[in-house]
Amino acid sequence: MGGNQHGNQLVEVDGVGKSFGANEVLRDIDLTIGRGEAIVIAGPSGSGKSTLLRCINALETIDSGDIRFDGRSIAKAGKEIHKLRAEMGMVFQQFNLFPHKSVLQNITMGPIEVKDVAKGEADRRAKELLERVGIPEKADSFPADLSGGQQQRVAIARSLAMDPKLMLFDEPTSALDPEMIREVLDVMRDLARDGMTMIVVTHEMGFAREVCDRIVFIDEGAIVEEGPPKEFFENAQSERARDFVDKILHH
Amino acid sequence: MGDYWKILSNNFPDYLSGFLTTCQVVGASFLIAMAVGLIVGALRASPSKVLNRIGFVYVEFFRNIPLLVLIYLVYDGINQAGIISLDRFIAGAACLGLYTAAYVAEAIRSGVFAVGKGQFEAGLSLGFNEREVLTKIVLPQAIRTVIPPIGNLIIAMTKNSAILGGSLLAINDILLETRRIYNNNFKLYETFLWATIGYLILTITMTVVVRRLESRLAIRR
Repeated sequence: MGGNQHGNQLVEVDGVGKSFGANEVLRDIDLTIGRGEAIVIAGPSGSGKSTLLRCINALETIDSGDIRFDGRSIAKAGKEIHKLRAEMGMVFQQFNLFPHKSVLQNITMGPIEVKDVAKGEADRRAKELLERVGIPEKADSFPADLSGGQQQRVAIARSLAMDPKLMLFDEPTSALDPEMIREVLDVMRDLARDGMTMIVVTHEMGFAREVCDRIVFIDEGAIVEEGPPKEFFENAQSERARDFVDKILHH
Repeated sequence: MGDYWKILSNNFPDYLSGFLTTCQVVGASFLIAMAVGLIVGALRASPSKVLNRIGFVYVEFFRNIPLLVLIYLVYDGINQAGIISLDRFIAGAACLGLYTAAYVAEAIRSGVFAVGKGQFEAGLSLGFNEREVLTKIVLPQAIRTVIPPIGNLIIAMTKNSAILGGSLLAINDILLETRRIYNNNFKLYETFLWATIGYLILTITMTVVVRRLESRLAIRR
């Protein structure tokens, strides 16, 4: 019900502020993400981009402002917050697969235990998803037997198994060896092309340029500028963004 | 060698009954240690300050007094007070179990903290609530991590059970039966060898069981 009255906006970040002690990490952030849109949040290390992503998934609480997801307030969700989280997928830098469960069990655990999907149906769907991320033969392996790139693809499949309305990626390739980055980015690119709404925190500017609809550039906890990737890379308005692009493209 | 075998065959029923009593008291203490240890360990890992404090007091109390003193306090103390007359076996198993539970609790607490914060967050992000994350994701991993240290504690507990037979509780365990046999023949080595073997049968069996459990449930990293 609530979703439709908010039309095309899936996420609305409204005046969000957040501090860790005396350290102000987010200042008055306003940002909306439309359904089907894929955005990249870019910015120097420590600029607050991961914190913003974690606030959207309520892994961090916000100090001021509000975030609405599909028309519902995250700040005011209280004990119902896990219901909102079940509708968002989150992919972590360190994968965070469950080491004591097989690949298949990692993927089916959410649907079976949170959404009451029957085991047979969950297994079938999980195998489909493993096919989609390109490692159907790893269903019975354990996380420790997989490469970093394979683990991250399982983590993506695990999130997708919940049929999320939104996928959040927190530096998904930063912990990977260079030769494995491609395989993860390919999966993410296909997702974006299939119309998944995505918010991606990443330093992979090639991916940003090629895949996303909009780049949001954050520095010192505030949005400095946002726009289409082509615009951002070739004609950034602010000096800080131009500096950033310069460093990224010429290092 | 003849003396050794003669002493065993002449006193076999007494040795066996002592061995079985030791098995019973160790079994009962084990159940108490695990049940109480799990509860106190959960209190110690709880985010609630009050619950944490209760667990802390329990652990520090039982960890900081000698087992023998505890036995005097519980058995003699309660009987002197004359409120109830405590069975020696129950008093012994309770002392040993509650004492070991303090160590089990600390092992479980460290196991919970050894499970990374990322596991908690991954569970939350799938839509599990805090309690479900703890019971379905964190605890199953924590228990696997603490199997080896808890195995060590249970082996130590088995050896500590000798204090029950040696103390004023005078439970008829393998140690007490062996001392009785020794008082009749004054052959120390020949008599105590069989008590030693009795304890080894128990502890080596435990070591094997723990190894098996560990390799079956181990988390490869």
